[in-house]
Amino acid sequence: MTMTAATTSDAPSETTAKKVSDKSLWLLAPGILWMLLFLVVPMLMMVYVSFWTQTTFKISPILTVQSWVTFFTSDTYLSALWTTVRIWLIVLVATLVVGYPAALYVGLFVRNKTTQTVLLVFCVIPFWTSFLIRVLAWRPMLGKEGAINLILQALGIINTPIEVLLFSELSVVIGMTQIYCVFMVGPIAFMMGRIDPSVIEAAQDLGAGFWRIFRTIILPLTMPGVVVGAIFVSVMVLGEFATAAALSGRKVNLLGNIIVTQVGSLKWAFAAVVGVVLTILMGIVVAALLRVVDLRKAL
Amino acid sequence: MNSSGTKFALGVYTGLFLVFLYAPMVVLGILSFQTGPEGGPQFPIIEWSTYWYQHLFGFTPPSRIAPLPINEALFRSLALSVMTMIVSTVLGVSSAQAFRRKFRGSGVAFYLIVLGMMVPGVLVGLGMALVANVLGIDRHWWGTAFVLHVVYTYPFAFLVMLAILNRFDPSVEEAAWSLGVSPIKTFRKITFPLIFPGVLSAMLFAFTLSYDEFSRTLFASGRDLTLPLAIYGTFSVEVHPNVFAFGVLTTIFSFALLGVYAALMTLSIRRAKRIAIQEEA
Amino acid sequence: MSAVLKLSNVRKSYGDLHALNGLDLALPEDAYVALLGPSGSGKTTLLRVIAGFETPDAGSLTFKGKRIEGIAPHRRDIGFVFQNFALFPHLSVAKNIAFGLENRDIDPVADPKVLAARVKDMVALVGLGGLEERAVTQISGGQRQRVALARTLITEPSLVLLDEPLGALDANLRARMRSELRAIRERCGVTFLHVTGSESEALAMGDLVLVLDQGRIAQSADADTIYNQPQSPSVARFLNCYNLFEGTLSSDAFIAPLGTFPLGGTSPRQSGKPGYAIRYDRIAVRPLTDTVANDEVRLEATFVADEYSGAAINSFFALDDGRVFEVESHLSQTTPNALTPQTRYALVWKRNDALVYA
Repeated sequence: MTMTAATTSDAPSETTAKKVSDKSLWLLAPGILWMLLFLVVPMLMMVYVSFWTQTTFKISPILTVQSWVTFFTSDTYLSALWTTVRIWLIVLVATLVVGYPAALYVGLFVRNKTTQTVLLVFCVIPFWTSFLIRVLAWRPMLGKEGAINLILQALGIINTPIEVLLFSELSVVIGMTQIYCVFMVGPIAFMMGRIDPSVIEAAQDLGAGFWRIFRTIILPLTMPGVVVGAIFVSVMVLGEFATAAALSGRKVNLLGNIIVTQVGSLKWAFAAVVGVVLTILMGIVVAALLRVVDLRKAL
Repeated sequence: MNSSGTKFALGVYTGLFLVFLYAPMVVLGILSFQTGPEGGPQFPIIEWSTYWYQHLFGFTPPSRIAPLPINEALFRSLALSVMTMIVSTVLGVSSAQAFRRKFRGSGVAFYLIVLGMMVPGVLVGLGMALVANVLGIDRHWWGTAFVLHVVYTYPFAFLVMLAILNRFDPSVEEAAWSLGVSPIKTFRKITFPLIFPGVLSAMLFAFTLSYDEFSRTLFASGRDLTLPLAIYGTFSVEVHPNVFAFGVLTTIFSFALLGVYAALMTLSIRRAKRIAIQEEA
Repeated sequence: MSAVLKLSNVRKSYGDLHALNGLDLALPEDAYVALLGPSGSGKTTLLRVIAGFETPDAGSLTFKGKRIEGIAPHRRDIGFVFQNFALFPHLSVAKNIAFGLENRDIDPVADPKVLAARVKDMVALVGLGGLEERAVTQISGGQRQRVALARTLITEPSLVLLDEPLGALDANLRARMRSELRAIRERCGVTFLHVTGSESEALAMGDLVLVLDQGRIAQSADADTIYNQPQSPSVARFLNCYNLFEGTLSSDAFIAPLGTFPLGGTSPRQSGKPGYAIRYDRIAVRPLTDTVANDEVRLEATFVADEYSGAAINSFFALDDGRVFEVESHLSQTTPNALTPQTRYALVWKRNDALVYA
């Protein structure tokens, strides 16, 4: 056993380290490649085409900022941008306000694990009906002869039907809130479940009232859930067009709607401009939300 | 928590919340029994009937209302969702496995993957339509739409598997290696069976997301429609209760699936317990 | 005697923590080797490096004459019994045991009859009869221990690493398993490297005992030598049966803050730092007025309390600087006088019984 120890002692450990990261790379490569080809490339193409020249039905690769100028100098499109931001904010706050107490109840107050699961399943069941059908279902709810008006009139609360419920911005907000609030409840209830009940009991023993406990313990600990929920809801609302189309009777024009109509009339370059504007808006929102919580650690 | 006043108030609130969630579905269910073909999708119910259910299956005499193209569109939706489910789960499992070790650029890779679920369908669909135009590729549900569906569902599968693998105890894998079993075989015979419930939920997630997905598909499928697109087509034209009848049927179908799943789970748990008891005797 | 495993200058660090700091060791064939190290001493890291689950930053590992640093764990032919057993939860006891034989890369056993026969032999060897079809979640801790052992031994490795194998068992079972482990190892004729933090376990089980201190092997000898002649004050501290003093060494005495201990005849051992150790059971407690012989050392202390453990009495004294000094009296040897708390006594031992380090 006469080995020359020193010279080759470092080499083997180097090669095993390299082998390990090679394997990681092979496992990861297909997924990364897929995202690069089918997510990054289309987005880059959208930015590129936004600078193309748009004739009536064709586009050509001659670069120009004409479409951009059209967007920012037109009242219609700027108001669409403003409407999108406004509705996004309202729906975000609404889903939070509507969803948080329910998550609080299910995640914290319901002690029995089975009941918790059952309640959460009940919240998810509506999702098994197609999104579009659920959007359509709001029409007979909100209309002049809709369910809400009929019930309120039957109970004698109002005498004439409330007209503003359908085909207005309010109907869009109501529809979106109902459809997306579960995306708030889920992550928040999840974070609630991870709160150690003995921490709350200790606070109660020390004499803290409900609001104090809520403010200092529950709210901070559920923040990651709020942020995740906010990201989900924001992504969906900012990209919305179907709910607005179905429930507002073409009165509410979101950036998503504009993209759809422009594509419909083959105005590709302009649609790309609107797409880039929407992307930038999304980027700002998500970046701001991610600053509040480090997602990777929360997992 | 002991403040029963708060608990009661929150309980009532949650009850109202559930009513809020279910109200449109209930209305939808009621209206699906509207008379046809004159009855529209609003109150009052002229007369209760199962006309629209029959209409769905083509059992009614032809009227001016075109039936939903269920057969082909349904087939396409199912096929697309199954393809998406398989591909995104495979990608999700292998990527999560890669993340078990630290490596340089893991932060960038993580956010690149998660980006897929943060970009709204309109944008990605538009981008893909542009790419197809510029490169002169045809748009098909099994091509351009399929890749976009995977872009959307792969991050979900990835995150589910990441959470599962984070909690996975690697010592059983090391034990298998120490016995002379190669890493690939160890993954097949030890790791995979143990993470399978997670893989199953990732698959379920991916299937559900893809099945109902329509904004990505809108721009990228070309002429042949998937089911959501067919329904979307009725948006701008008149809406009829046949859509509602369809919604009721699909919901019942989902309940049935859940029931089957729950029954299978209970059966397998009971069987495991029975074997254990037999052993004791 | 040839060495089945030889480590040379092995280093492994985690950031600033040097778990293995230039470690050398040699394990003989067909022996029971115990590795003693307190928690945090790097003993699990050492095992993982030998098994191949971690790669060393530097150094060489030679196993059966071949260098193995770059070789993957599944090709090393080194068995590993985990502290938490790491049994495959979705397989039965029999399938757990058969797993390695069935699925290994080199020489897998395909014939189900041969497989069944070998499993049967191993079940008999470790004493798991009747439990073959049980789920591993439904057997006791001691039985899981045996499955982990059987699973490894059936593949006939040339070296088996055991990471605190008795740690998860209760005290009675632990005592029984000690002799069983030794018996099983002898029948298999393979080297066991048994890592533990318990000094009594290490001394009881090892033909050879290695003491791990600060990333290096501080002493490698048989149990008797380690117990009676620890090589350094650190090793002496791990044995939990020596009173230790720091100080300086002069030509004929050890000068500690509390007093001067005249030296006996033997020359001090080299260990890097001066130290003085006297074992608990070599000390006599005498009244202050008693005279001290020429070959004895005397130290005064205040008696605090007694601990009776059946075969011996451990008496605790407070030294003048506040530290604790322990005296053990074996009841088969002496009948010690009753001591009054808070009274000063003279602690006396023979000069030659003390261990002096330079």
